[in-house]
Amino acid sequence: MTDAIVHVESVYKEYLTGSEPVRVLHGVDLEMAAGDYVSLIGPSGSGKSTLLNLIAGLDRPTSGRIIIAGEAISEMDEASVARWRSAHIGFIFQFYHLIPVLTAYENVELPLLLFDMPAAKRRKQVNIALDLVNLDHRVKHRPGQLSGGEQQRVGIARALVTDPALIVADEPTGDLDGHTSEEILDLLQAVHETLGKTILLVTHDPRAASRAQRLVHMDSGVLVEGNAESLREAFPGWANGH
Amino acid sequence: MKFLTLLLRNVGRNKIRTVLTALAVVVLVAIYTLASAVTDTINHLVGSHASQSRLMVLEKWVVPSQFPIRYVPKIADVDGVADWTVWHFYAGLLDDAGTRGAGIATRMENLREMHPGLEELDPRLIKAMQRERTGALVGQRILDQMNWQVGQRFRVMSFTHLNKDLEFKIVGTLPGDVWAHNFFFRDDYYQEACDDKDNVAIMWLQVADEQNGKRVAAEVEQMFANSPAKVRVETESAGVARFAGRTNTIVSIINFVVAVLLIDMVIVLANSINMTVRERRSEMAIFKILGFQPSFILAMVIGEAVLIGALGGIIGAGTTYGISLLNAADQLPVRMSFLLQFPIPAKFLLHGLVVGASVGLIGSAIPAAHAQRVGVAEAFSRVG
Repeated sequence: MTDAIVHVESVYKEYLTGSEPVRVLHGVDLEMAAGDYVSLIGPSGSGKSTLLNLIAGLDRPTSGRIIIAGEAISEMDEASVARWRSAHIGFIFQFYHLIPVLTAYENVELPLLLFDMPAAKRRKQVNIALDLVNLDHRVKHRPGQLSGGEQQRVGIARALVTDPALIVADEPTGDLDGHTSEEILDLLQAVHETLGKTILLVTHDPRAASRAQRLVHMDSGVLVEGNAESLREAFPGWANGH
Repeated sequence: MKFLTLLLRNVGRNKIRTVLTALAVVVLVAIYTLASAVTDTINHLVGSHASQSRLMVLEKWVVPSQFPIRYVPKIADVDGVADWTVWHFYAGLLDDAGTRGAGIATRMENLREMHPGLEELDPRLIKAMQRERTGALVGQRILDQMNWQVGQRFRVMSFTHLNKDLEFKIVGTLPGDVWAHNFFFRDDYYQEACDDKDNVAIMWLQVADEQNGKRVAAEVEQMFANSPAKVRVETESAGVARFAGRTNTIVSIINFVVAVLLIDMVIVLANSINMTVRERRSEMAIFKILGFQPSFILAMVIGEAVLIGALGGIIGAGTTYGISLLNAADQLPVRMSFLLQFPIPAKFLLHGLVVGASVGLIGSAIPAAHAQRVGVAEAFSRVG
């Protein structure tokens, strides 16, 4: 057992394409301590999303172990891992994925409905989360009535509301303009610094990647520690100041 | 935020699709309700009060039955016959709109005893009928349909007896609903007014028990075996079974149409729900990612379909029921005489609800099964 929040050990993942097995991850190891802010970068098809799904308990490795917040999720069955996920992982998506028929408040409340929690406590937690993302004045608005940036803030509040051990952000600025992207990245940074949350960010955006404390680079199913050089390799245009 | 709130909001999400789907269910349930009312009425008429100890005497070959009235006293004298009556059929139009009425001319002295379903008839009405030569005891449905009152007179434009349009005075109402579509009047009035004193259509015999019935039937048939007009004697239940045999074909056709309608409803709903599921795949993936179990997604999809189906079902049945009531009360611009023959009982409102909800349940089963298997990857970005 390890003290790390994320412990990925010799993880392999294969998919079947027709009858042919295709190996996507080749013995990946990753360790994230509590409070880490890690960016996962790499070209399309390199295996980033596969690794993200495995860490978030959305898929199972072909071999290897994944321990998140002390729980070996790679050994849990589907129902158990779903219950575990609701309590320990917060998700932020590129396209926000709010439920269009629910208000901002109800969207944030959604993950809490899985817990046996009194309504008053639920209300308090939802209000705190919406306050953190500065959307306490938009609680009754539905996603269609909010801007992209506001929707992503609701998405972040929904990820925070259960006080998860790990926040997984999948291209959170991928659908936003430059200015709004900066606001969302500032917000994520604040979540990391003020709340001490552990964040794993998968991104194609060099500005987003550069905000993290640590960079890991995925290439052809192999994970390596990255640095500024990795960023320049991954995003040559950005390296030239664009 | 409760599950039902989510369901209701999802139902109201694509209003045009929901309205069109519900409308399809409304129309189909309305047709189903009408078809069911027809089979219900037929089954009710066929299945009521059939007995083994009541015999009906009919002409053996002629349809409609008619045999000499001189047979009647001879048959009545057969050992084992406890009581008897005769029927003459008289039918025609009750108004210019073409509403049909079926009358039975019979003996008044034992009307209650010889007609199952009339046990509750007030004996004072029998006496009143015996005083009033043109009197008629009229079924409640006819009274409701025609908006007639006891005491008033009506005229029947006969299509069974040409140029023999008879006038009647309503003396009372027939109890219950066995004879709700008929009216009874005196056989002596019929014989004189229609100038038909030589024949009867059917003779009814009351015998002590089934064994006695078989002997009496054989004896009566034998009695006229060598006459030009031979008779056939059968128990009431056998007669009913024979009638049912004919109507069974009609009922089977209607049932077939109803089955096709139900399948059609299921397909319409399944198609609509399938489109909904396809559009919301990423949303369903989100529910899964957040930790909701596949059974929640299953319930969400099925619940939405059941809600639309039940809503369409109750509106469809309710509309048909309402039209039936308004039609009976002559409150519609055009009176539908067809609907008067097959009244829609209130219980069909519940049937409509149940049929609509069941169609929703069946129609959404496959789309819901697909929905609960939606992959979580649907929610993630397409890169990496």
